[in-house]
This record gives sequence, structure tokens and C-alpha cells, in this order.
Amino acid sequence: MKFKALIAALAASALALAGCSVDKSEQAADKPTIRIGYQTFPSGDLIVKHNRWLEEALPDYNIKWTKFDSGADVNTAFVAKELDFGALGSSPVARGLSAPLNIPYKVAFVLDVAGDNEALVARDGSGVNTIADLKGKRVATPFASTAHYSLLAALEQNGLSPKDVALVDLQPQAILAAFERGDIDAGYSWLPTLDELRKHGKDLITSAQLAEAGKPTLDLAVVSDEFAEAHPEVVDVWRQQQARALDLINNDPQAAATAIAAEIGLTPEEVATQLKQVGFLTPQQIASPEWLGTDGKPGNLAVNLQSASQFLADQKQIPEAASLSTFENAIYTKGLPGVLTQ
Amino acid sequence: MSIFVDIAPEDTVPEIEAARPNRWRERSVRAALPVVSVVVFFVVWQLAAASGIWNQTFVPYPSTVWHAFIDISTTHDGVRGYAGYLLWEHLYMTLRRGLAGVVIGVVIGVTLGLVMGSIRWVRSVLEPWLTFLRALPPLAYFFLLVIWLGIDEAPKITLLALAALPPAAVATTAAVVAAPVGLQEAARALGATRGQVIRDVVVPSALPETFTGIRLAVGMAYSSVVAAELFNGIPGVGGLVKDASNYNNTPVVLVGIFAIGISGLVIDGLLRAVERRSVPWRGKI
Repeated sequence: MKFKALIAALAASALALAGCSVDKSEQAADKPTIRIGYQTFPSGDLIVKHNRWLEEALPDYNIKWTKFDSGADVNTAFVAKELDFGALGSSPVARGLSAPLNIPYKVAFVLDVAGDNEALVARDGSGVNTIADLKGKRVATPFASTAHYSLLAALEQNGLSPKDVALVDLQPQAILAAFERGDIDAGYSWLPTLDELRKHGKDLITSAQLAEAGKPTLDLAVVSDEFAEAHPEVVDVWRQQQARALDLINNDPQAAATAIAAEIGLTPEEVATQLKQVGFLTPQQIASPEWLGTDGKPGNLAVNLQSASQFLADQKQIPEAASLSTFENAIYTKGLPGVLTQ
Repeated sequence: MSIFVDIAPEDTVPEIEAARPNRWRERSVRAALPVVSVVVFFVVWQLAAASGIWNQTFVPYPSTVWHAFIDISTTHDGVRGYAGYLLWEHLYMTLRRGLAGVVIGVVIGVTLGLVMGSIRWVRSVLEPWLTFLRALPPLAYFFLLVIWLGIDEAPKITLLALAALPPAAVATTAAVVAAPVGLQEAARALGATRGQVIRDVVVPSALPETFTGIRLAVGMAYSSVVAAELFNGIPGVGGLVKDASNYNNTPVVLVGIFAIGISGLVIDGLLRAVERRSVPWRGKI
């Protein structure tokens, strides 16, 4: 009897626990839901989320924000048809648009261009002063990230192949630990760990310099084809809110830093310093031929993504690079540039 | 968690010479069943992939995974295996780490278990710590190991040793405590010293269960290899699985999973064979 009572109690408590949820987003059952995947790099996305601009602009929809830690996870969620919008780096986007993934999504916004917020830092005492000195040294970076792409581009620029250095796959916080212990000679990472690396080392190259040399890495926002076809008006509203966030960053960096700080658990001062190092475009620049382009005329971003795809193919991570037209078709230019300023 | 340990007793079928034809049939059925289950598995997999319900990223064809296996195992188009290492090299590194971790963990664990089983106050002191350690998922503390021990072999082997230690210690403690009091007292009555009782009565009667503990320990350590190889894990099967999943490269992930699973089965089979040889008195005290 006692045993049965125990089993019953266990079953009851399991059911009760399963019913409890600490999900804070309020979901009304009678409204359709927009599912957005975001990441915690400083960007306008976080301002839109924190200030609840989308919720205000789209009162007829539930907005569900889900946090992701990497572009690979965002891609997986898109393959599973669990997301309508997502934020991810240009490398994961290039991978998602190439075979075998062929994810049906379109690039609808450029969140930021990596600047001095991503850099290759050599450790003091490692004897490395230039990128060419890295030959035979141990260099760490989070694999499959934009920093990985930038590191290999920087090596190539200096006539080194990936085989000339000992590449180590580490996440930023582990790069910091290995750096301080002297286990690695250099690391390509991003803020906020990058600031700590810079205390004990010096920059060899930053993503801003690589962008000037024609190898920019970007953070992009994508929308699934299915959603964009069914709700083009929602995509318009979403782009306007993203443009509004960019304007805030460019015109009132203090307010932008406060909103972002609340989302990523840093102080507004720290975020303000970070924001200065990231390249944020203006809405006008985004709709220029250099980036997204205008309605029917996809911009140079397609070329950039195609070269990222070629790079992945060279790394044997995808069977072959996708064609330029694939990327041109995958840029959502509908209504540009007018739609951003409505 | 006890993935490699099945509870069924070993070959306790009584030897009856008269029922020879029956025995043959039984044997062939027993040999055929695993083969049938594998065949059914592959057929279902092929059908699931061909049905097109799921994206290729989630359910690739068996043939795609087979090609990935061939690619990782050979040098092709000037590319050597995956990330510059062949599959057997990945597997070798993982097994080497696993062996080092398990040996350290099991030696410490069994010693602790013997002491804890024989001396009551030591047991009271150490038991909460062991339970604490056992409850921790390796991922929770692996980052600390990286900070303390670096990114090379040390943190990986430590993690595997920490995973292997508690099951070995707990099983040995339980086995020593359960050593038949009657036999111990009989030995004492016949004039054996405390040391002799432990050597000749306690240890032999505890050995079978200790072996189960060791098999559990190997299983725990082996199921932690992906966690252990999360940082700088290449070459290594765990590192291979992690890297391939970063690129949504499902076929390679599956090859890695099969490599880990099949080598785990082989290791468990070897351990069972050793167990049969070295403790033939299991279940007979």
C-alpha cells in the first residue's frame, strides 16, 4: 500500500511540475505567433526586444523571443521550421543557403558589420608581432564562427595556409583561460572577452581591417520564405523597427547602450564602449548597392555571401559553393529602400 | 546511465546433454535475433529517409552516412579524413584518453570503496562527497577543469576519471559491506587475522560486484567523452561529433555516434569476458 501511495505521489508531483512553467512571455491563444531567434551580441535586435517595439507595432500577434548561442543552432531551428525570424553571422547564413542545408530563408537586414569588436590578439611573451610570425604557433578561435572565417582570411592574406599554424577550437571564455595560462599564442575572439585578451596582448588584425580588404563579416537577420510570403506586411513592420533601432544606436548611443545592457547583463558603460567598436550601418546604407540593394536589384552582399560559401567549400565543410544567383535570390529586397523610412 | 550493463545473468542455462537438437535451435535463434534487429533498424531508417517527411539534415540516407564513413576513413582528393585525421586516429585518441581516465578513476574508486566498506567512519565522511560528485553532470564543471588544467590532455583525462570514480567506489563499498558475515566470523574463529579475512574472504566475495561497478564506471566515462572533448578535442571522436554538429553536418555526426557506440559495445564485451575468466565464482557464494 505504502509503495503504491509513493508511486501515486511521485506521478502527481511530476504532473504538477510539468504544468509549471517560468516562461514570462505572455501568449494569447487566439493570436498567431511570430517566432524570433536572437543572439546576445550587441545589436539593434536587442533594442527592439528590450523596448518591446515589435509587441507595440504588432498588437495582433504574439511575439516569442528565443535565445540562441550560435548560428549553427539558429540554422537547425530553421530547418526544423521552428523560427520565422533569426539573427546569425554571415558564415552560418552562407552555410544555410548552400547545399546540403538549402534552408528556405532570406536575408532581410544587416544588423552590424564586425569592426574592432572582433580581433586577432597575440599574447605578450609569445614572440609574435605580425601575422606571419604565427607560423607553427597555436592559435585559438571558435570554429564555424565569423571569427574563424576572419582568422583564415587573415592567414591567407599573409601567405599562410591553415596547416601552417596549430588551430585550436575554443569558445571565447576558454580562449581567455588558455590565453592567461599561456597555452595558446594568439586568439581570434570578440567582445567582451576580447577586452581581457587585449590587456595581456596586442592586436595583429581586426575585422574592421579585413572588411576594408574585402573580407567583411556581418551579423544578419533572416526571415523564412514561408513567413515572408504569407505576411509581407509583418516583415515590413519588423524592418522598420530594426531601422528605428539602428537610428537610436547612431543618434542616441547612450539610450541604445542602456537597452542592450539590460538584455546581456553588462553595465551601460561597458556596452557603450563595445558599441563604438562595432560597425553599425544607417538604414540608407543598408538599402544601398553595397549591402542589401534595392527592390529587384540585390546588392553586393550576395557577392560577399558567395565568397563565404566558397570559403566553406575550400574548408571541405560543404560539398561545393552555391552560385551567386542563389545568394541574389536570397536577399529580401521587397520595398527597399522606401519601406525602411515609412 | 548504465548503458553497457545488462542485468540478465550470464549463461546460466543448465547443461542437459539429452536436449542437443533443441539447444542448437536455441543457439541459432539467439545468434539471429541481434542480426534481425539490426536489419530491421536499417530498413526502418531507409524508409524514414526515403519518406521525405524529414529534412536530409535530420534523417540522412544510410548510404550518405556510409559515404561519410568512407570519406573520414580514407584520404580522398588530397583531404585526409576529417579535420586532418582518419577515423581510427580519432578513435585511438579517444580510447587512449578513456583508458587513462578509467584506470585512474577505477584504481582510486576501488581503493576508496575497500576502505569505505571496511571502516565505518571513513564511509560516513566520504559518502556525501561521492554522492555530490555523482550528481554533477561533467559539463557543469568541465570549464573549471579547463581554467585549472589548461586545454590539453590533463582536463580531459581528469574529467573521465571523475566520471569513472563514483560508480567504482559505490559498487565496491556496497560489495564489501555485503560480504557474508557468517564466512568472516568463521574465518576469525579459525584464527585468521583481520588482514587475512579481508584478503581471503571479503575481497573474493566483493569482486563480482566490483566488476559490475567497473563496467558501470567504463560506461559512465565513455558516455562523457563528447563532453571531455568539447574544448580542443580534435583528434578525438567526441571532438569530431562536436565539430561536425557546429556545421550541421549530420552524416559525420552519425558516423561519430556509431563509432562511439560500437566501440563501447566491444569494450563491454571484452570486460565481460575478463569478468567471466577472473571471477568464475560469481553467484555461487
